[in-house]
Amino acid sequence: MIEIVRHSGRFVLFVLAQTLIFNQLEIGYGIQFMVYPLFILLLPIELNIFVSMLIAFLLGFSVDMLSNTYGLHASSAVLVAYLKPYFFSMFEPRDSYEPEVEPNFHTMEFRWILYVHGVLLALHHLWFFTIEIFKFNEILYILQKTLISLPCSFLLCILIQLVFVKKASTR
Amino acid sequence: MRNLIAFFKRFQVFLFFALLQIAAFSLYFSTMSFPRSQYLTTASIVSGNILSVRNEVNKLFSLAAENRKLQEQNVLLRKQLPLTYVQLDRRLYQINDTVHLQRFEYLPATIINSTFDKRNNYFTLDIGKKQGVEQGMGVFSDKGVIGIVHASSTHFSVVKSVLTQDINMDVMVKETGAFGLLKWNASTPRKGQITGISNDTKVRKWQEVVTRGGSGIFPRGLSVGKICEIGTVEGKPLWAIDILFAEDYRKVQGVYVVKNLMSEELKAIEGKIPDDPDDE
Repeated sequence: MIEIVRHSGRFVLFVLAQTLIFNQLEIGYGIQFMVYPLFILLLPIELNIFVSMLIAFLLGFSVDMLSNTYGLHASSAVLVAYLKPYFFSMFEPRDSYEPEVEPNFHTMEFRWILYVHGVLLALHHLWFFTIEIFKFNEILYILQKTLISLPCSFLLCILIQLVFVKKASTR
Repeated sequence: MRNLIAFFKRFQVFLFFALLQIAAFSLYFSTMSFPRSQYLTTASIVSGNILSVRNEVNKLFSLAAENRKLQEQNVLLRKQLPLTYVQLDRRLYQINDTVHLQRFEYLPATIINSTFDKRNNYFTLDIGKKQGVEQGMGVFSDKGVIGIVHASSTHFSVVKSVLTQDINMDVMVKETGAFGLLKWNASTPRKGQITGISNDTKVRKWQEVVTRGGSGIFPRGLSVGKICEIGTVEGKPLWAIDILFAEDYRKVQGVYVVKNLMSEELKAIEGKIPDDPDDE
């Protein structure tokens, strides 16, 4: 029960932070900060994939409504939720995930964060910019935007976990 | 039948994924085309209100700059007042109503949400149908053009800005009158492109580019920008011209919506141009 309340609170905070703060940060070079996929990555592992995809859709949809992008964020968020279980099982630690422990920056190794969060964020960014621009002759532009936005978003995701996610974050 | 059920069972996760993707994409493509659904954009009441509150906060940061801008404009307007001039000739300030007929009306508005680093950038205004904003009206600021109203709800409206792929605005070089279409290639929000000016006309750097007023959306002669680069298009007798926009779309807040009082008349008379039989 408390878990549901916590994640609902996070949902609202992530949507507001994304649309009211990070979408407003315009530092040029086409850099776009996208931190809301972190919410999906922090959802409990044992959550049903259908539910997590539906939650991801709602998350993306809420971000879309507040930033005039109509469906772009929803589509990318659903992609992250869909691919998440595959990557989580691919990079599963030797003694498997500890039950009741949230896999975040404090509880996992940095290598795991780099592989799982990094790759999923990269796929999210690539997907987002591809359907936003939607032209194959501008593929270099798509790659450029992905490559410069990705490190920024990734660092920001780590910072958010360092500052806002409590260390002993068992439930 | 059993195979079909087995198929669905096996791929149920992917099918659900595909379903959600189709939902998102249909949303995206249906809203990209012209009459967009009003409920999903920042023109809707809920998100519109959140954005106005945010804008109230944002406004405070640029208050000083906005004040200075207003002052500058006041000075300019004051200069135009008859009081500041010594009247030399009585006929100079005679207003003849049969000669001057008001053609454009301007509605002041504030941009409460905007982007400039996407491929297509839309701005949200804090006025809507109630204040008389309709689809297809022009929007400009005191420095230059902003865009064309794309959709309007009761209290908010969304502007398709100059920073979109297919804005295709009618513009001309002020000195020579050579005209072309304004485009944007998304490389930087400071520069746009003009296509359609043939390379036997003379263009020089830093010549001013203004609106042509062709479709009656904008008055003729509104500033757009200055030519900053001239190149050639391979295989075509055309210039590839880059312009530096007069307005900085990253900072603009106060704008005006143009209402053309004679747009009906313009459309009616232009409708009388016979269709070219060769086109069919």
